[in-house]
Amino acid sequence: MLLVRSALCWLAAGAAMGALLLGAKAVPMPAGVFRLFALHAEALLIGWMVQFAMGVAWWILPKYPRLPERGPGAPIWTAWALLNAGVLLAGIGRAAGAVEGVVLTGRVAEWLAAVAFAAAAWPRVKAFGR
Amino acid sequence: MPPLTRWCVRSALLWFLLALSTGVLLAGGASADIPGTTWTLPYPTYLHLLTIGWLTNLVFGVAFWMFPRYTAEHPRGSDALGWLAYTGLNTGLLLRLIGEPIQMAGGRAGALLLLSAGLQLLGAWAFVLNTWPRVKGK
Repeated sequence: MLLVRSALCWLAAGAAMGALLLGAKAVPMPAGVFRLFALHAEALLIGWMVQFAMGVAWWILPKYPRLPERGPGAPIWTAWALLNAGVLLAGIGRAAGAVEGVVLTGRVAEWLAAVAFAAAAWPRVKAFGR
Repeated sequence: MPPLTRWCVRSALLWFLLALSTGVLLAGGASADIPGTTWTLPYPTYLHLLTIGWLTNLVFGVAFWMFPRYTAEHPRGSDALGWLAYTGLNTGLLLRLIGEPIQMAGGRAGALLLLSAGLQLLGAWAFVLNTWPRVKGK
């Protein structure tokens, strides 16, 4: 639930930034608006699409016959925290022109989120009922 | 499959074909010029055809169809919000497809782009509003 709701939040925020960026092509706006581009892209590609896919996969992949039916919670919570921290660091870091280390840290956090998610989801890729 | 989902998925497929056709044209460099005009299709337009037209439309349609029921009376939440999401997203994208090449070529399409931005934003927010209460456990 948290993955999908967080994805919806990034969609709402990313679409607002996108509307500003597109609007800035039509009417003069402060130059700073164009710095939103990096955060807009990070929010919609990773925050929205990737996270939404992770949330739906976590919901719909075959469950275990025993509790907890979707497996231990720690890896998926870790993936959620790392992914969202990564989007913030990489997106805001690029938008704010922060030192390269900030963006790199964000990207590493996103990569670690992918590792945690893949490790948690891997055993659930199986025939239903097994 | 509800009618709104059919519209979303079929529109997604059409945008998908258009986006990848555009990708082929863009890969050809100068051939990204739009025949009969002095316009060139900008790369951002191509990216948005793919990510908004194909991916987001598909997600909207499938989510509207498959997410947990809102209530027994209104299993898919508000149909009006669902249609607003579809209409806003697709009309907005269509206006961008028309307006962005004109604007990039030095023409006047500011109003089209502003309308496009507003409609796509409206569509995204309508989807979020309608989907949020359906993200729940059993």
